[in-house]
Amino acid sequence: MSTPAVSEPRQPIPVEFADEEESIKITGFWMFLVTDMIIFASLFAVYAVYRSRTALGPTPQQLFHLGPTVLETLLLLTSSFTIGIAVWAMRSNRPRLVLGWLIATMALGAGFVITEISDFVAYTSHGATWHVSGFLSGFYVLVGTHGAHVTFGIMWAITLLLQLRRRGLTPITRRKLFTFSLYWHFLDIVWIFIFTFVYLSGKIA
Amino acid sequence: MPAFLLYLVHTLFPPDTRQPTELGADFMILVTGIGIVFILTRYQKWRWLWREWLTTVDHKRIAIMYLIAAIAMLFRGGVDALMLRTNLALPNVRPIGALEYNEVFTTHGTIMIFFMAMPFIFALFNAVIPLQIGSRDVAFPRLNAMSYWLFAFGAILFNISFVIGGSPNAGWTGYPPLTEVAFNPGPGESYYFLSLLIAGIGTTITGINFLVTIIRMRAPGMTLMRMPMFVWSVLTTSALIIFAFPPLTVALALSLLDRTFGSSFFTLGHGGMPMMYVNLFWLFGHPEVYIVILPAFGIFSEVVPTFSKKRLFGYTTMVISLVSIMFLAYGTWVHHFFTMGAGPTVNAFFGLSTMLIAIPTGVKIFNWIFTMWGGRIRITVAMLYQMAFIPTFVVGGATGIMLSVVPADYQLHNSYWVVAHFHNVLIGGTVFGLLSGLYYWWPKMFGFILNERQGKVAFWLFVIGFWVTFLPQYLLGLEGMTRRMYTYPFGFGWHELNLISTLGAFIMGAGFLALVYNIVWSLRYGERDLTGDPWNGRTLEWSLPSPAPEYNFARIPVVHGVDEFWAMKESGDTLANHLRPQDVKTLELPKNTGMPFMLGLSFFVGGFGMTFLWWPIAIFGGLGVVACLLYAAFDYNDKKHLPADVIRHTERSWGRLQA
Amino acid sequence: MSEGMSEHSEIEAVEPGLEFLRPKFEVEGFPWAQVMGYVFSLLLTFAALLLVVYHAMPPILLLAVILALALGQAGLQLGVFMHLREGRGTAWQLLPLGLAFFIAFALIGTSIWIMLFKTGVS
Repeated sequence: MSTPAVSEPRQPIPVEFADEEESIKITGFWMFLVTDMIIFASLFAVYAVYRSRTALGPTPQQLFHLGPTVLETLLLLTSSFTIGIAVWAMRSNRPRLVLGWLIATMALGAGFVITEISDFVAYTSHGATWHVSGFLSGFYVLVGTHGAHVTFGIMWAITLLLQLRRRGLTPITRRKLFTFSLYWHFLDIVWIFIFTFVYLSGKIA
Repeated sequence: MPAFLLYLVHTLFPPDTRQPTELGADFMILVTGIGIVFILTRYQKWRWLWREWLTTVDHKRIAIMYLIAAIAMLFRGGVDALMLRTNLALPNVRPIGALEYNEVFTTHGTIMIFFMAMPFIFALFNAVIPLQIGSRDVAFPRLNAMSYWLFAFGAILFNISFVIGGSPNAGWTGYPPLTEVAFNPGPGESYYFLSLLIAGIGTTITGINFLVTIIRMRAPGMTLMRMPMFVWSVLTTSALIIFAFPPLTVALALSLLDRTFGSSFFTLGHGGMPMMYVNLFWLFGHPEVYIVILPAFGIFSEVVPTFSKKRLFGYTTMVISLVSIMFLAYGTWVHHFFTMGAGPTVNAFFGLSTMLIAIPTGVKIFNWIFTMWGGRIRITVAMLYQMAFIPTFVVGGATGIMLSVVPADYQLHNSYWVVAHFHNVLIGGTVFGLLSGLYYWWPKMFGFILNERQGKVAFWLFVIGFWVTFLPQYLLGLEGMTRRMYTYPFGFGWHELNLISTLGAFIMGAGFLALVYNIVWSLRYGERDLTGDPWNGRTLEWSLPSPAPEYNFARIPVVHGVDEFWAMKESGDTLANHLRPQDVKTLELPKNTGMPFMLGLSFFVGGFGMTFLWWPIAIFGGLGVVACLLYAAFDYNDKKHLPADVIRHTERSWGRLQA
Repeated sequence: MSEGMSEHSEIEAVEPGLEFLRPKFEVEGFPWAQVMGYVFSLLLTFAALLLVVYHAMPPILLLAVILALALGQAGLQLGVFMHLREGRGTAWQLLPLGLAFFIAFALIGTSIWIMLFKTGVS
């Protein structure tokens, strides 16, 4: 701020960062992600404490099927890749490519949500509702909160799509796409921990 | 339809809300409401209210709205306190019964923490921070308005529980299983969870907003170590907010799921674990204590140098102690439930971490004293509160250290000793600090000075009342009186002390009335602040006229050191000296919007529907929220231009523009 | 340089001593970083999956290893996809983020530690 800029070879800055106001909004979004991270940390803490409190219900080892979970992981990892490519396309200024990769991201996200819902339906149809035990409550709320975030992300992507189509790549829409990509990658990170800490570790005897 | 109406009356006004006190309150609310509507209509002020206030995104106006809400809630929480004290004045004399007493101490605690202290600190954040860092606004003006309306509608939702449906009654901490639907079937606890969730979203957003404002929007030249100490305190407070409120959100949401959708988190059966709520709640609750005390530390660090005419002693150590308090604050929460029995290792760890906090706090106390040492002290009301704060807070802190000794805590837990301790720090620290800040920055917010003589009367009533109320409570705690008891029999030796304590509470009440009189009187007859610098201040906010214009700074100042404005005055300089007409540019300012208000209203409607499990209303509110967010996403027309001529005219009328 | 990058590129000065945090912005002709990131994320995921399916190690060690793999994934996402080192005032997003990771893990760890009280006392 005060210190005079050290002389450095000038390098190009992406538009969403070059605009003072938009770059402040990106900083703000990082702070939001911090709060969201603590929300998930609290839910992870709840799950960790409740993991063994299965009451009369199933244990993690009895409940989980890794098949659908691996599918969900693949879908989400791939969608994280596609949104990464969308941001790359935005940086190279190719609006049509951006739209395409954004739609691909949404489709993969929708696939994730549908797989998760059908997985949940399968569990509950065997009587494993969240009323049954503290473990199930913790499980459904942790994983469900993540799923709700993904669902919200898809809605957000739809509004983003409309804005991009209408306005093209302006500093504002670029910033919005960039923050959306941050959000999406963040959900991917959370999912990796759910996959590891809930599903995989549930299968460790 | 009569059956339907009967159902409605029975649900909204169940028998236990048809007590004389409640009916009296209903009547008062009705009369006040009709009065306000009448005045607004009579003087055709509706449009003015909507355009100038309800839709504003100007941080200075939002500050004023926060302040009005905080003082109203101080009144409500104070009346609750007087009811509690009246019930305990004499043994076996109990104007209100046990159930109602539970409701009153619950609303007293919840309102004072969430709806009095929080908006009060946010009022000062909003009023001061952008001016002190030389910025035109906060980072996200619309989010700022959203924060306010989420807080305001959360507060309204909480307050209507008193007259509609019944108040929450499980204490301000809302521990399960007391809040579980099996033991507490009424709407009261749902009101509690929903209103705190709604207000909590607003608070989290405020934390993000001020954090980003301070790290990204400081005037050129204002490095971290040149920031005024109040800015430092707000920076650490905001960081605490963004790390502390999420666990609260989770704790409240899970309780609500238990109550409303039958999950098994905090139930006694089904593998639930009530103590996990306590763990999550205090993960928030202890940082919250520092969220409300750190701004007070910041206020004193501004007030003391100004009225001692000396720069703050030990700036660097002040910063280090603020930051270390911020970190330590996050590592002590278990001391609120030592008696859970988490084992000697856990309790010893958290007992020690609690004691550690005394070190940076002690450093701050000494620094304030050393700042006063050898200074030219002026005894103003703001300074009086500071001088009362030091001994009061030292006592509060020392009793806190005693509580951190785990074996002693087993004896003192849930006794009046604890009640006396936390009022000692919350009133002696936070409230004295906020009142000091109120008197100090009032001229900057409103353009006139609060009468000092009346202010001193209010001060003495308040401080004497405080000590008369809470000193006896330490003794009551030692004599075995537990907190939250609604009455007690003869012969325990408690009645003299309780009577004295109640007397003190009424003296504090008189102090509040004196404060309100002071404000109302000064509103009419108070001395106008024409210079913008009534206290001979040291920081940038005093370089502006009072109240500051909408755009704050016609030209953003350049900062060269701590106490920039003081340095300017020393060298015979002002901001105006260099402002030539051609320096004034047309500015882009955020445009007013009704979205934040509508968003708050939607949350309120949704929350109300969820409280009574009236799903159509809840869904309607939820759709309102979605609509507001969609509007915000697609609204690109959120800026207005303030022409340079208008700014020149304003600056010239203050005599701040060179010819 | 493409149009997606701005011409006026005033680089924000950083506080003395923090020069290594000065933002870096890169755009490549082909998104190699993203593709490699994707491949590595798949590798890490399947490594964890296979380790668990074949019970390759004693349980505690296995848990530690798959958590380490997850952390590696998180770092990958942050570094490659979230452009962590980009941005003005980079220190200001690294600092809270590091703090958030620290507090998140401390919160989970201490909660487990504290809430084990049933086994610790009674």
